[in-house]
Amino acid sequence: MDVTFWGVRGSIPAPGPGTVRYGGNTSCVALRTSAGAWLVLDCGTGARNLGLAMTADEAPGTFASGGAEAAILLSHAHWDHIQGFPFFGPLYVAGNVFHIYGAAESSARLEGILEGQMAPQYFPVQTLKNMGASIDIAALAPGTPRDILGCRVTAAINPHGRREAMAFRIEEGGRSVVYASDAGYGENGPSAEALALYRGADLLIHDSTYSPEDRARYPQRGLASVDEAVAAALAANARRLALFHYDQDYTDADVDRLLDRAHHQISKAQSPLQVFAAAEGASIRV
Amino acid sequence: MRVKFWGVRGSLPVPGPKTERYGGNTSCVEVRSAAGTRIIIDAGTGVRRLGKDMMREEFERGQGTAHVLISHTHWDHIQGLPFFAPLYQKGNHLYVYARRRDDVHLRAVFASQTDDPYFAIPIDETKAEISFRELADSARFEIGDVGVRCARLNHPYVATAYRLSVDGASVAYVSDTAPFSDILFENQFIARPPMAIRPLPEPDRAKLRAMRDGVVRLCEGADLVIYDTMFTPEDYDRYPHYGHSRPQDALDVCREAGARRLVLFHHAPERSDAEVDAVLEATRAAARQARLALELDAAFEGMDIALGTEARGTGETTG
Repeated sequence: MDVTFWGVRGSIPAPGPGTVRYGGNTSCVALRTSAGAWLVLDCGTGARNLGLAMTADEAPGTFASGGAEAAILLSHAHWDHIQGFPFFGPLYVAGNVFHIYGAAESSARLEGILEGQMAPQYFPVQTLKNMGASIDIAALAPGTPRDILGCRVTAAINPHGRREAMAFRIEEGGRSVVYASDAGYGENGPSAEALALYRGADLLIHDSTYSPEDRARYPQRGLASVDEAVAAALAANARRLALFHYDQDYTDADVDRLLDRAHHQISKAQSPLQVFAAAEGASIRV
Repeated sequence: MRVKFWGVRGSLPVPGPKTERYGGNTSCVEVRSAAGTRIIIDAGTGVRRLGKDMMREEFERGQGTAHVLISHTHWDHIQGLPFFAPLYQKGNHLYVYARRRDDVHLRAVFASQTDDPYFAIPIDETKAEISFRELADSARFEIGDVGVRCARLNHPYVATAYRLSVDGASVAYVSDTAPFSDILFENQFIARPPMAIRPLPEPDRAKLRAMRDGVVRLCEGADLVIYDTMFTPEDYDRYPHYGHSRPQDALDVCREAGARRLVLFHHAPERSDAEVDAVLEATRAAARQARLALELDAAFEGMDIALGTEARGTGETTG
C-alpha cells in the first residue's frame, strides 16, 4: 500500500510562511492498494490537491474521464475533516463511483451531514445530487470488519471532546495501516478496542496535535499529545508511527520539536518503533 | 480610516509555498475609524488571526464591541468565525450583519455552522453576546461614526456590496460578483454556461443594468474599491456561471464611478504568487492604456491602507 499525506493540520487550515514545510491543509490521507484501489481517509482541505492529482491522467476509465471508483472513510464530521469535500474534483465527474463511510446513527443521517455542508446558503452547488458522481453513503459500525474495495477495514471509536471520532484499520496484501486522528483519550490512554485496532500496525497515523504542555492547557478539546501518540504506538507494538493533525498555530519548527520529543520518548523506551512527522505531499510505501 | 487585509483568497484556503506572499486565507478585511469603531467585512479563515490580534486589547478584558458585515454566507466568507477568539470572552459583543432572506434566518446559518456534529462549541454557548442584524438590499445605516451603504451583487444565492464612510474617506467592498452582462444570478443552481443555450431575456437584462448602476453609485468617488477579480478572461469564458469577475470588469466600474484606487481581491485558489503578479501587471497595463488615473494593487495578507484624515495625518500608505 502507498500512503500519501495531502493535509496534516487540525482544526482549520493554516496558510503562511510558518507552515510551508509540513503544510497547512486540514486532514486528508490517500491510500493506494497494491491492486490499485483508492481509499481516502478524511476530506479536509487537502482533498482539493488530492483531487487534482487523481484527475491529472485523462485516459479512459480514470477519475478525470469518469468510470473510476474510490472509497472515502470519514473519522467524524468536524469541519477540518469534511471541508474539502465540496472541492474534491473527482466527485464532479459523472461516471465515477464513491463509497463514503463514516460514524453516524444511520446512513441517512450521514448523508444529511454531508448535505448540510452543500446547502445553498453555504455552497453554490446546493446539494450532493448536483455533483455528478454516484455517491453511496453508508454508516459504519465499529467492531465488525468489512470488505471495502478489496481491503479489510475495521473501525473503533475514540473519545474526542464532547463527541467521538472513528479510527480505521485497513489491511491489504498482509500489510496494515491504522488512521487514528482526533483521539482524546482519558487518563488511562486508549481503550482495549482501540489498542486492538492499532495492534502490530505497519503504519499508525496518530493524532499528535499538541505538546504535553498544550494538551494540559486544552484538555476539553479531546486531542492527543505527541506523548500519547508514542505511548499508544508502543503499547500496540506498531512498527511505524506518523505524527499527524498538528495544531493550527504550530510552525514547522514546533512540529520539528514534536518529532524530537517522539524520538526521545522512543529511545527512552528502547523500542524499535520508527517515527516521522507527516508532511503534506509525502508518500510512504507500507 | 484604516483598511487592513487578513484574508484575500476565494473558494477555500490554500496553504503552501505558492501562496506565501499574497496569502492563502479566505476573505476578511478590517476597517477601523480614527475614533476606534471596528468593522470586519467577511469572516473567512483570515478572521482567526485578526481575532488573536484583537485579544491584546479591550476584547481580552471582555469589553470589546465588533461589527461583522457578511457579503454572503458561502463558506469562504464565514468559515473563520468559529475560530474568532473574542467570541470566547465573556463581556464582548459581536454584531453580525447580512442580507435578509426569505428561506433561512441569519442566526440559523451561523447556528448550523457550529452545531453538532460540525463544530465542538455551538454558537449559543459562546461566552460573548452575538446579535444578528438582517439587511435589505439597499440598506443605509450607521455603526458608530461609520456610515454604511449596501448594494446587491450578481452572485449565486445573492451577495451584498458595502460602502463604509468615515474620517473624510470611503471604501467600497464589492465581493463576490459576476459581471452584470451574461447571467442573472438569483437562488437557482446553474449547472453550465447558459449563454449558448438562450439569449438573456430583456427583464433579466434590465435587472442587471439596475444592479450594475447600484454598484457604480456605491463606488462613486470612493477612495478605495476592493473588487472580486477572481477570474482571468479565460476563466470567465469557461465558468461564467460561477459568479466572479475579471479585472477589466472592476476597471470599468471604477472608471464610471470615478474611484481613486482599486485593490484586486478574492484571488483564485489556484493562482500562485507569480500569477497574481502577472494579473496585476496586465491590469495596470490595461488601466494605463485606458488613461485611467487609478492607483492599482493586488490585495495581500497584512496589506494596511490609511485613507482620509488618517492618510493625511501619517503621510503614506503602508504595505
